[in-house]
Amino acid sequence: MTKATTRRFFFLGTLAFTLVFIGLTIHTHTTISARTHDETLTDGVRRGLRVWGAYNCENCHTLLGEGAYYAPDLTQIVAQRGEVYLGEFLANPSRFYSEARNGRLMPTLGLSRQQIEDVIAFLGWVGKIDTNGWPPRPIVVSGVSVRGLPGVETSATAAGPAARGQSIFNGPGACSTCHSVAGDVILVGPSLAQVAVRAGQRVTDPAYTGKAKDADGYLHESILDPNAFLVPGDRFATPTHTSLMPPTYSAALSPAQVDDLVAYLKTLD
Amino acid sequence: MIYRSQRVAYFYFLAAVVLFTLQVAFGFLLIAKYLGPDPLLNVLNFATAKEIHTNLLLVWLLTGFMGAAYYLVPEESRTEIHSETLAWVQLGLWLAIGVTTVVGYLFGVTEGRKFLEMPFVLKLGVVVVFVLFLYNIAMTIRKAGRFTTTEGVLIGGLAAAALLFIPGLIHFDNYTLDRFYRWWVVHLWVEGVWELIQGALLAFLLIRLSGADREVLEKWLYVIVGLTFLSGILGTGHHYYWIGTPHYWLWVGGVFGALEPLAFLGMATYAYNTLRRSGMAHPNTIALHWTIGSALFSTLGAGILGLSHTWPQVNQWTHGTHVTTMHGHMAFFGAYVMIVLAIISYALPALTGRNDEERQTALGIWAFWLMVAGMFGMTMAFAASGITQTYLERILGLGYLETQQKIQVHYLMVLGTATIFATGVAAFLLDFVRAGAPQTAARAMPAGAVAAR
Repeated sequence: MTKATTRRFFFLGTLAFTLVFIGLTIHTHTTISARTHDETLTDGVRRGLRVWGAYNCENCHTLLGEGAYYAPDLTQIVAQRGEVYLGEFLANPSRFYSEARNGRLMPTLGLSRQQIEDVIAFLGWVGKIDTNGWPPRPIVVSGVSVRGLPGVETSATAAGPAARGQSIFNGPGACSTCHSVAGDVILVGPSLAQVAVRAGQRVTDPAYTGKAKDADGYLHESILDPNAFLVPGDRFATPTHTSLMPPTYSAALSPAQVDDLVAYLKTLD
Repeated sequence: MIYRSQRVAYFYFLAAVVLFTLQVAFGFLLIAKYLGPDPLLNVLNFATAKEIHTNLLLVWLLTGFMGAAYYLVPEESRTEIHSETLAWVQLGLWLAIGVTTVVGYLFGVTEGRKFLEMPFVLKLGVVVVFVLFLYNIAMTIRKAGRFTTTEGVLIGGLAAAALLFIPGLIHFDNYTLDRFYRWWVVHLWVEGVWELIQGALLAFLLIRLSGADREVLEKWLYVIVGLTFLSGILGTGHHYYWIGTPHYWLWVGGVFGALEPLAFLGMATYAYNTLRRSGMAHPNTIALHWTIGSALFSTLGAGILGLSHTWPQVNQWTHGTHVTTMHGHMAFFGAYVMIVLAIISYALPALTGRNDEERQTALGIWAFWLMVAGMFGMTMAFAASGITQTYLERILGLGYLETQQKIQVHYLMVLGTATIFATGVAAFLLDFVRAGAPQTAARAMPAGAVAAR
C-alpha cells in the first residue's frame, strides 16, 4: 500500500460518506414538519425557544435528553405537571422547593408573565415531538414514576374498576406525578392517602364551598372542577385562588374513566 | 526555534495554559454546586458557571491548536510566518472576544445553546479570527512552496472547523432543526475534523520524537483520518436518535457510531508501532509522555467510553445522565488536552532557548501523572454516578431529585480526584513558567529537529 493509495482512500471515502450524509439530511428535512407537528408551532412557541435560550435553561436542565445534568429533564413536564402549576413554579421556584429539603433549588429568574407563558408553550410543543419513543419510561422530577405516564401505552384492560382506575392514575391521567399516595409526602398537590375518609369529613365541614354531598361526589368534583373548592394551604393554588391542578380532566377523561379513578382513590389508605 | 516568527506560538501556548487553569477553577465551582447548598444561587448560577467551564475548554484548545500551527507550519514549510504582526493581531482579537464573552455570560448575555452560547456578534468575530488565521497560514505555505501532508491535515482540520462553525450561526424556530444543526458543529468538530488536528499533531510529534520515516507515518496518517470520516460523518446519527428525526438514524448512528473507536485505535497502534520500531530515545521525555498518553487515553475516553453508550439500546436509558459526563471528560482530555500539552511540551525548550535535555524536569513528569491519575479518578466517579443515576432514575423510575440525593457520595469522589487533577494542572503551569522567558531570536536547530530530517 502506497501513500497515494491511502490518500485516495481518505479523499474518496470522505466524499462518499459526505454525500450520503447530505442525502439523509435532505430526506430528514422532509419529515420534520410532520414529526414535530409544525402546524402547532405558534408565535408563542417561537418566543418560548428564545426565552429558553436567553435564560440558559439547558446549562442546568436537559430537554429531549440534551443539555446539562444539574436539573431534571423537561421533555414531558407540561403533560406531567400542568400549565397552571408551572406558571406558579417559574415565578417563584422557592415556593415549592428548598435546598434543605430537596437538595437543589432553581434560581428565581425574574421572568415576565408573557415569558413564562411562552416558555411553557414551547415546552408543551416539545413534549409532543415524535422522539422514536424516548424516554422509554417516564422521567419524573420527584416521587416515583409508575410505568405508563403520558405518551406511553398502558394496560387499561385490568379487571375491576379500582384496578382500571389505578392504571389511569399512574398512566394517562398522570395523577401520580403530582399526588403521592403515601401519607405526608407532598409532591405538588395534596397526598391522597386516606383521601376518601377526608372527603367524607370535608363535605360536612362548614368551610366547604362546593356542591358535593358525599365522599364520592367530592372526589368527582375535585377531578372535574378543581376550582369548586380549594384545599387550604397556599401551596395548592395561585395567589388569585386558582387551583394548580389542570382543569382539563373533564375533557381528557371519559365519565367511565372518572368513575374508575374514584373507585381507585377510595381504596387508598 | 529555527524561525524567528515561531516565537508567537509561545504566547498562544501561554494563553492556552492560563485559560486551562481558569477552566479547572470553574470546574470546582460546579462540583461545589453539586454538593450544595449553593450560596451563589442568584448571583452566579450553575448554568452560567457551566457555560464558562465548557467555553473556556473550547477556547483554550483552539488557542493551543492555532499556536501549534504557528509553531509547526514554519518548520514544515521551512519559512518564516507570512505576517507575524497578523498572528499577534489575531491572538489579541481572539482573547478580546474570549474575555468579552465570559464577562457577558456573567451578566446573563447568552444564546443558551450548549457549547455555542456565544452571542451572534461575537461569533462573527470568531469567524474573522479564523479567516485571519487561515489567510496567514495559507500565505506562509504559498510563499514557501513546500507543503507536507502533516501540515496539510492540520490546516485541513482547522479550515474544516471554521467552515463547520457556520451552521452554528443560524437560528431555527423549530427546536428539532436547532438540535440537528447544532450537532453539525459540535459532533463534526470533536468527532470529526478536530481528530484531523489531533492526528496531524500526533504524526508531527512522532516524526520528531522517534525519528521515524516521514513517508511511512504520513501514509498511515491518511488511513487514520480516513477512518475518522468513514465512521464520524454518519456517526453524527448517534445524536439523532431522540430529537424528532426519523427512525433510520438509530441504525445509521448505531452502526457508524460503533465504528468511531477505529480511528482512535488506529492512532494508538500507530504510536505504539512507531516507537517500537524507531525507539523512544528522544531527550524530551515530558513531550513523549503526553504524546503516547494522548494516543492511549483518547482510545479509552473517546473510543471505548464513547462506544459504551453509543448503541440506541443502551443510549435510550443513559441519554442525558452522567454517563455522558464520564465519556466527555476523558474524551476531551485524552484526545485534545493531552495532544495540546504534548505539542506545548515539545516546543517549549526551543521557544525558551533551552536544550531538550534541560526539559526532563521532575515537575513536568509529576504534572503528567497527577493529571492522568486525577482524570482517571474523575471518570470513574462520573461513571459510578452515571450508572447509578441510570439505574435508579431511568430504570426504576425514582424521581430526579431523590436520585441526586442518593448519589452525592460520587460527587465527593469527583471533588477528591479533581483536586489531584488540579494539582497536576498547577504543576504544569509552574513548569511552563519555570522554563523561562520566550526567546526572541532564532538560533540553531534543536538536536531532535535535526535528527528528524
